[in-house]
Amino acid sequence: MTRRRLTSHVNMAAALSSEDFNNLQLLLKAPSKDAVRDVCVQSHKGPSRQLTENMASTLSIPATQAAQLVRSLHVLSHHVIFHNLSSPEQILAVFPESFHSSLKNLITKILLENSPTWRTEAVSDQVSLPQLKDLNWRVDLVTGSDSISRMSVPTCLVQLKMEDPCPSAGGESVSTVTVELSRESLDTILDGLGRIRDQLSVVAGK
Amino acid sequence: MQLHFNKDVLPDSVSSDFQNLNKLNEQQFHRLVEILFRFLLEPKETERFMQQLSEFAAEHGMSSGPLRSLMKSVLLVPQGALKKNLTAEQIKEDLLTLGLNDDKAAHFSQQWAEHQAALCRLALGQTLMVNQLLDMEWKFGVTVGTSEIQKVGNIFLQLKLVVRKGNSTENVYMELTLPQFYNFLHEMERAKASMECFS
Repeated sequence: MTRRRLTSHVNMAAALSSEDFNNLQLLLKAPSKDAVRDVCVQSHKGPSRQLTENMASTLSIPATQAAQLVRSLHVLSHHVIFHNLSSPEQILAVFPESFHSSLKNLITKILLENSPTWRTEAVSDQVSLPQLKDLNWRVDLVTGSDSISRMSVPTCLVQLKMEDPCPSAGGESVSTVTVELSRESLDTILDGLGRIRDQLSVVAGK
Repeated sequence: MQLHFNKDVLPDSVSSDFQNLNKLNEQQFHRLVEILFRFLLEPKETERFMQQLSEFAAEHGMSSGPLRSLMKSVLLVPQGALKKNLTAEQIKEDLLTLGLNDDKAAHFSQQWAEHQAALCRLALGQTLMVNQLLDMEWKFGVTVGTSEIQKVGNIFLQLKLVVRKGNSTENVYMELTLPQFYNFLHEMERAKASMECFS
């Protein structure tokens, strides 16, 4: 038997091999359906030492086998999400004919239950620029300055809070920017936003 | 001396400087006032201002040093007037109080009246703005797929804000979902409505 090193990067769309399905049948050793469910959900997140240890003890299998099982489950759940397999028939079709029937049904059920959540997570975690999380504004009336001692000019302060879903190492995920806008700038921005809105409704209409 | 444009004590030289102005003939005075207002309208052009004064001095057989300090005194009047929002009438009064003769005071205040609106706008524009937004660029499109999901169809909107930070600019990039975009638009419309209350 060859030993496989568990790598931290798993090819999300990798097809499942017969070895993967052998690993999945280790789940037959689980004490309960809930234990199977738990293992599937935990594996979706990714390999971890803690997970491997827990699984090894739950299923009474050596750590190496537990690690292989995690990996295979991970590939399976990500395969389902990537290809958007959303019906029982689609997921069942992934398994080979020889696969244990009840286990196959149970795993399929678990995958169907969790796919919507996993898909939403995948969308929100995707590569992205910092996302606008919050917006606050304030309008002030400037009544004096060093160049004119009496004036009455409105100005707008806008505070934007952004969250970077994948901050660089050591970087902050939440950042705040405050900008000041004159009336003309605000009008120009609204003009631009209006054009975006118009173009969006054209796209949405298609 | 009761002056509108200035409540502090003026340097001694100011009085004599204005009286020296009276020695100029009409054409010379008009030219000098022209140079002055051109500088006021483009305050960053100090080199050009100095050069024009030197040329003027050479043309009319004066030394440029004294001419420059004379102009420094004269500048005090429009600068103070701008701060205090004085009328042409008030400027004329001040110039007479300072010893400038009638014709010249009238000419200067008339030039002031002509340029006042532009000078005011300039001064307002120079008012301190913190992190002033200079530009906004945007693009939007559809995310068709990711490494996690083969087919996706989400609309994304990306904004780039160019913000003035001191002497340089900083670019701020961000992404918005559709609901966030509509919220942004809504909030900016509210801010504009609020600003319009003050106008």
